[in-house]
Amino acid sequence: MATADTTASAPAREGRIIGRSWLGALGLLVLLGLAAWIYQLTRGLIVTGMRDEVSWGLYICTFAFFVGLSAGGLIMASASELFGVKSLRPLARIGVLTAGACVLVAAMTIIPDLGKPARVWELFVYPNWSSPMIWDVLIIIVYFLFAAADLTVMTRRGMTASRRARWLRIMAYIGLPGAVLLHSITAWIFGLQISRPWWNTALLAPAFVTSAILSGTALVTLVALAARRWGRLRLPEETLSTLIKVIATTIAIDLFLIAADYITILWGNVPRERAALDLVLPGGSWQWVFWLEWIVGGLIPFVLLTVPRWRARSGVIALASALVLIGVYAFRVELIEGGLLKPLLALPPGVSLGATAGSGSFQFLGSYHPTWVEYAIVVGLLAFLALLITIGYRWLRSLGPHAGEAGA
Amino acid sequence: MAEQAKRWAMVIDQERCIGCWTCAVGCKEINNEPAGFWWNRILTSAPGIVTGESADETLAAPASDNIDVPHGTFPHVEMDYLPVACQHCDDAPCVRVCPVGATYRREDGTVLVDYERCIGCRYCIAACPYGVRVFNWGDRKYDPSFTVGYGRDYRSDGRLVFTPDRPTGVVEKCTFCVERIDVGQEPFCVTVCPTGARVFGDLADSQSSVAQLVDDGATQLLPDLGTDPRVYYLPVNREGSA
Repeated sequence: MATADTTASAPAREGRIIGRSWLGALGLLVLLGLAAWIYQLTRGLIVTGMRDEVSWGLYICTFAFFVGLSAGGLIMASASELFGVKSLRPLARIGVLTAGACVLVAAMTIIPDLGKPARVWELFVYPNWSSPMIWDVLIIIVYFLFAAADLTVMTRRGMTASRRARWLRIMAYIGLPGAVLLHSITAWIFGLQISRPWWNTALLAPAFVTSAILSGTALVTLVALAARRWGRLRLPEETLSTLIKVIATTIAIDLFLIAADYITILWGNVPRERAALDLVLPGGSWQWVFWLEWIVGGLIPFVLLTVPRWRARSGVIALASALVLIGVYAFRVELIEGGLLKPLLALPPGVSLGATAGSGSFQFLGSYHPTWVEYAIVVGLLAFLALLITIGYRWLRSLGPHAGEAGA
Repeated sequence: MAEQAKRWAMVIDQERCIGCWTCAVGCKEINNEPAGFWWNRILTSAPGIVTGESADETLAAPASDNIDVPHGTFPHVEMDYLPVACQHCDDAPCVRVCPVGATYRREDGTVLVDYERCIGCRYCIAACPYGVRVFNWGDRKYDPSFTVGYGRDYRSDGRLVFTPDRPTGVVEKCTFCVERIDVGQEPFCVTVCPTGARVFGDLADSQSSVAQLVDDGATQLLPDLGTDPRVYYLPVNREGSA
């Protein structure tokens, strides 16, 4: 980068090597993902683990997860403006950068899930406005453009400080409701469907907004810690402590919302409502999502971030943030797959598979096991996201010594 | 004479259904459905599911994973057959969710998929309460290896609503045999049913047998969802029922 030391001291050289290997590894994973997608294009979605009964898998779970990740940064930047949370100021630029990158990669994640990706343009030519998916496409585009505009205002040279401050304030007024809308509409893709009792709860939009803030903040925390470690970001303790408070509080709210849903279903004891829940509760065949969501990604990070002796260590904060991301991903899997695994008409011989498996052409109880193609594509998308954030951060840093921080 | 718009509907008499799967196999044949594809299935059910009296039995533990196994404990056992294909709902969730309007409802109530428009997002599969949609995941296997059935493209209002070999990456389903009903024939499942359990006709014509059967108390599948299907069922008359 332009700001690289000319003295080429040993640590700086080491840093450059780490930086290059990081970028190289990410680039390689992106290429592998791309190769897997090309393979999928030639064979069709038959190379995935999805079939007619569980017709959405890893791609859609990851899409919903990436959309959620985009929340943290923009809400953080907007909150620091609107509510004067000064401690979050240093993260405003990183936040908006992360938000833009996440929502861009979320949109890309939809493409490999499509059976006819070459027809994606039809979304813009023949939109059906009664479909939540069209509204989601719209809000994703608006949100991405907004993040790009916000970043432009933050980094533009030759703008007077007062003018920049006024613009950032205006942007914040749009950004916060925009973020809430993005996550609500994504939730409504699922939550409005009467065919899936497990999805069909009014709690879904609040739960998506909450888990988005949770995972988004955890991601920004991870990025900020990495930027402090390897990218010379000045990260005040005060900022870190605000992030910890946001994450811990949001874990509690998120789990509360999910628990409220569980309790409603359990007490009501209506079979069609119980079916999916019984799959994910301890003892069910999908109970691993429960343990990941409640213990690995819930209780453990909550304790790590609330015990003063532990939360003082940045390694612990990073670990807790990573666990939170796993927990939120598990929530996406729990919701999406749970709804699909239990069709309303669960009568023998079941649902047509759209293919012949060893046992026949019907499936009575849903099953889903992602294939290496799906894993490779999802890892490739994840690597692309990391690549975008890394390059974006370097660009921000190249703008000036304190460019990683707020422009105000 | 201005012809009145048709309102196509099908009535399935569960008392007559013997669970022979002829309609399902006939459907596969006329539509050239590949191996593993079923637009039409005959579920083994318990009486009452269709009428909504016991809608939750749909998810109560079924008697068995296998077909033809009665519900209940001997000697109190009961069973009936529930043939399920696209219900051609008046308020169809699949039509509502399709982002590009590839799934659409014709004036006469037939719900169709435009195979040239579908982007393969499978939102309709998630949205359908009846599990009747099939996706073309990849290369199709045919047994026999040659095309059977109608065998050529059929367009309605210029849209490709039937083609013998649907492309990889699109969703397909029962069309009410649109290419047949448009020329005055019945859907093939109605034609082949050996017991005459299926009746097809125009609801707008109050003299038609479907209209009269619907008046006489035919019911819909999962009626509490309000999808208002154009496929009706005449439940099995059990002892003790009104």
